[in-house]
Amino acid sequence: MRSTATRAKSMRLGPQPGEVIDREQQFTFTWNDKRYSAYSGDTIVSALSAAGERIFSRSFKYHRPRGVLTASYLDPNCILQVGDEPNVRGAHRRVTPGLAVRSQNTWPSLRFDVKAANQSIARFLPAGFYYKTFIKPQRLWPAYESVLRRFAAGGTVSAAARHGYFDKRYVHPDVIVAGGGPAGMAAALAAAELGAQVVLVEEEHELGGHLKWGDHEELQILDALRAEVDAASNVEVMLDSVVTGRYDGNWVSVLQRHLPHAVERLVKARAKSLVVAAGLIERPYVFEGNDIPGVMLSTAVRRLINLYAVKPGERAVVFTANSEGDAAVRDLQRAGVEVARVVDARRGNHIMRARGGRGLHSVDCDDGQRVRCDLLVTAVGWTAPTSLLNMAGDRPIYNQSAARFFPSELPDDVLATGGIVGDGTLDQLIDHGRATGRVAVRRAAVVADALCAATPQCREPEKAPGALVSVHESLPELPIDEHPALFRAATHGIVDYSEDVTSKDLFGAVEEGYDSIELVKRYTTATMGPAQGKLETVNVAAVVAEATDCPIEEIGTTVWRSPYSPVTLGALAGRTFEPVRFSPMQPWHERHGASPLVAGQWIRPDHYGDAAAEARNVRTNVGLIDVTPLGKFDLRGPDVPHLLNLLYVNKWSKLEVGAVRYGVMCAEDGVVFDDGVTGRLGEDHYVMTATSSGADAVWEWIENWLQTERPDWRVHATPVTSAYASINVAGPKSRELLLRVAEGIDLSPHTFPYMRVRSARIADIDDCFMWRIGFTGELSYEIHVPAAYGMFVWETLMETGEDLGVRPFGVEAQRILRLEKGHLIVGQDTDGLTKAYAAGLSWAIKLDKDDFAGKPELVWQSTREDYFRLVGLQPLDESLVPAEGSQIIDDDGSIAGRITSSRMSPALDRSICLGQVAPHLSAAGTTVTVKLPDGSRMPATVTTQHAHFDPEGARLRG
Amino acid sequence: MVSERRIARSPIKPVPPVKMMHGWEVSARRSSRALRITDATPLAKTLVRAPADGGAAQLFDVPLGHAARNETGVLVSTAAPGEWWLIGAPQADPSKAIEIESVERPELVSLLDLTHERAAVRLTGGTAHKLLEKVCAINLSEQVTPNGAALRSSVARVVTDIVRDDSNGERSYLLHFERSYGQYLFDALLDAGREFSVDVDGFVPPGI
Repeated sequence: MRSTATRAKSMRLGPQPGEVIDREQQFTFTWNDKRYSAYSGDTIVSALSAAGERIFSRSFKYHRPRGVLTASYLDPNCILQVGDEPNVRGAHRRVTPGLAVRSQNTWPSLRFDVKAANQSIARFLPAGFYYKTFIKPQRLWPAYESVLRRFAAGGTVSAAARHGYFDKRYVHPDVIVAGGGPAGMAAALAAAELGAQVVLVEEEHELGGHLKWGDHEELQILDALRAEVDAASNVEVMLDSVVTGRYDGNWVSVLQRHLPHAVERLVKARAKSLVVAAGLIERPYVFEGNDIPGVMLSTAVRRLINLYAVKPGERAVVFTANSEGDAAVRDLQRAGVEVARVVDARRGNHIMRARGGRGLHSVDCDDGQRVRCDLLVTAVGWTAPTSLLNMAGDRPIYNQSAARFFPSELPDDVLATGGIVGDGTLDQLIDHGRATGRVAVRRAAVVADALCAATPQCREPEKAPGALVSVHESLPELPIDEHPALFRAATHGIVDYSEDVTSKDLFGAVEEGYDSIELVKRYTTATMGPAQGKLETVNVAAVVAEATDCPIEEIGTTVWRSPYSPVTLGALAGRTFEPVRFSPMQPWHERHGASPLVAGQWIRPDHYGDAAAEARNVRTNVGLIDVTPLGKFDLRGPDVPHLLNLLYVNKWSKLEVGAVRYGVMCAEDGVVFDDGVTGRLGEDHYVMTATSSGADAVWEWIENWLQTERPDWRVHATPVTSAYASINVAGPKSRELLLRVAEGIDLSPHTFPYMRVRSARIADIDDCFMWRIGFTGELSYEIHVPAAYGMFVWETLMETGEDLGVRPFGVEAQRILRLEKGHLIVGQDTDGLTKAYAAGLSWAIKLDKDDFAGKPELVWQSTREDYFRLVGLQPLDESLVPAEGSQIIDDDGSIAGRITSSRMSPALDRSICLGQVAPHLSAAGTTVTVKLPDGSRMPATVTTQHAHFDPEGARLRG
Repeated sequence: MVSERRIARSPIKPVPPVKMMHGWEVSARRSSRALRITDATPLAKTLVRAPADGGAAQLFDVPLGHAARNETGVLVSTAAPGEWWLIGAPQADPSKAIEIESVERPELVSLLDLTHERAAVRLTGGTAHKLLEKVCAINLSEQVTPNGAALRSSVARVVTDIVRDDSNGERSYLLHFERSYGQYLFDALLDAGREFSVDVDGFVPPGI
């Protein structure tokens, strides 16, 4: 019989009792640019198979043609490219209208792939060949890489791919059931009947497990179970979803796919009980030619016929060792497939090899007969997918008579049911499932009670609606059926279809000394493909056992780690929550063309088009800057002065009501941590400010001291940063502007001098406060108004001051102005090593205080001279503005400092800087050398003081 | 002239149509959808800080982790030891409803009007907890966080006080958090609620 890779004839069967396709909805899609039709409910592969296609991919290394093996999510031969999405499971993904599907890693086509030439040099490409090749000469590594890239498996990722919407969700069910077969459904229902909130997770598109392709009676039982699940309001069903991992404390991750609103969703669940009902996975048989298109597992055949009404071939040989294989024979015959021969392993018969190229054309049996066929069906046994149980600490134990692994020891919060723990009739499996569900609830109730006792919000268990009902239940035993141990024929074949690893490769690895399953895995990459060992682990163990002449139970399995199945990066990233903070005046800034500055979480106006002009306007007229992000703390209590004395280097005990003082905060190593002003509003009421970037850290610092070191102090420190819209009104006309809007306050210089705070009513808004301080060096006031009125007050100031030349100014202009005045910025002009003396703050440090944070280090620093100093600098070339961070170098070329701040000064029409320099270069008048980023050098002079403009401060004290 | 234009604004841009209510610019939109989100920022909010086991605690008689309304309708909640939030109708002074003066000194008691420091959002509807499950890891089941539960947690990475405050038999949560995050968090909640067809419902006084 001549086997053809494709046929013109349709392989679609008439209606099947359990089919999942909807024949009323038919549409088209493309496969390698050729149009095909599908029914709603078809998978990509079932639709193509119905059209007679048999080849869907080329193998990883040898580029051998590959067809359907399992017809399920795990099918290693059906991994396809769908649009811009690579590595799609074609035997699981449903067709949608217009889908564009392509084969992966084939050139120039699937039918004729040049890379199949690898087969001719296969003897040079055994498993692990890359450990011995592509090493020398090293200069050829780039060439090796470019060659190997062309042979890399997998699809293509497009840089232009549209980012999908990936979601996240947190749930806290009483019971999670992983697996929606009959035992899983029974467990979920039993748990729900006892009041549990249940999440039932099923990898396929429908509940049912193996019942879906069962006989009439099984389909009826399935319908009944599904109806019960539908009616159970406390069972949440997640279809096309998989439990990807089980972590400590039954933290379980579930991946939901293809939701209406999201590509995927990662559900993070904290389950009180986890029930694993993952069923059994049919195991392939290892023999020569076992990867030729037309060789399938019995469950693949039964799926194709019963679910998708697809005839898998014309003439079949069935190699069976169990009832599933027997049932496959019946299904084939019902579907009109000629069953040429049934080779029954239970009677001692075996197959030797499959023959064919692009498609199967015959099978050699062990009695010498060669049977013509285009379909070989194998049913040689099962693998228990114990991954989730392994993640819970279980190491499975091999049962010789059943020829498979079983779980052994599980923690209290994890149970298993169904085929994974035993065999038996359908009724026995369902009964076991129900019992497991009840036990799961009993254990969940214990966890729920403990959680409730630890949570102040929790309602007492007996008063909670739908509380868990705990019943006494023990788990029945499931029988374990005997099964022939069939892993490999007398010939060699593919063991890991995804990685193109053969049994010969495994023997070779053992010969080379990799004689444990962990070493074999890593050397050959067997079990490391997309199926992650679910199809091949036991066969690998069996072959290694054979090669080492050890029993399988001694070889064991590798350790399964999460994720159970591959997870997209999109699902792991999910929704990226990046909080953004805005001032109340942000809409105004946007309307007036502010260029945004990202300052931590805050968005601030950097400038409104011309920072230099904004700075000049502050020096000439009046400017407004939004300083709302400034950290602000409301301090109340009789012990506030003690707190201030502790946190700051300067003294606070005599700060009068209405007075403001600048403070420097150091960490316990004496390094400058933050700075700001604190004003006394009342007897026991202060307001402290901090830098906007340091506000959170300062609050933690305050609370740390109050809660751990001085809980006896009667102080309440409450962050009020967002409570006030803060506006700095700066410039020679600032007083004039505020006189027009402020009530109940005398703004005259002698009544309201520099460094004072007053409560005020501004623009008809009560509960404002105003301090006369400034960062710009001009007459200025910082007004704080209740935040909801911020926009109103800002707009009022802008309108009211129009004739005074009021303009907004942004952060950039403020930086220019403060640099002209020589004011340092903590974190810019200081760094993680800058102690207070080095920042030129000796005037603020009061070492005669009893104690304060950082005092011991500062006492030590005060006795030394060998620290860098913060100084003012002016480049000799007034037009040159050195980049911030430029190094200051000594005569011998060694680094002797750096430029910390640098700008062109509009007021002075020349460049100005602050910098840290070595002590021997810090004297006023010293000429230092600045090395610019391009390597050139420029001289600069150390100034007498930090301030470059109005050093006496006459303008701000006016 | 100035006072005529005096407008208090929430950090959350109101969904049109817009109206004035007690001096606040609010959304006048009404929704009858099953899941609704309301900007409740105009609510008056007072923070009382006092020793967790002192006279003030006895005065409020609301245990840690709970919320309850007093006889004047002010919602008193305590999600952290030594802190009580009093939430009342806009422009009211919720602290007036509590005889804080009766607390013996020298216990330190601080009252702070933080109406402007907090944005507030209310989520109402049968699927309100499902929306929150997408942005908050807290167990929102009936047993753990029943009606009257008050807690502080991360909601879309913003520190938020969450009060389960069912309304007319519907599940409802009042969230309040630092004002500057207002628009960001409102948008995050809308995004999370799209799956459940969340709709914006305007603020209707007293709103509490």
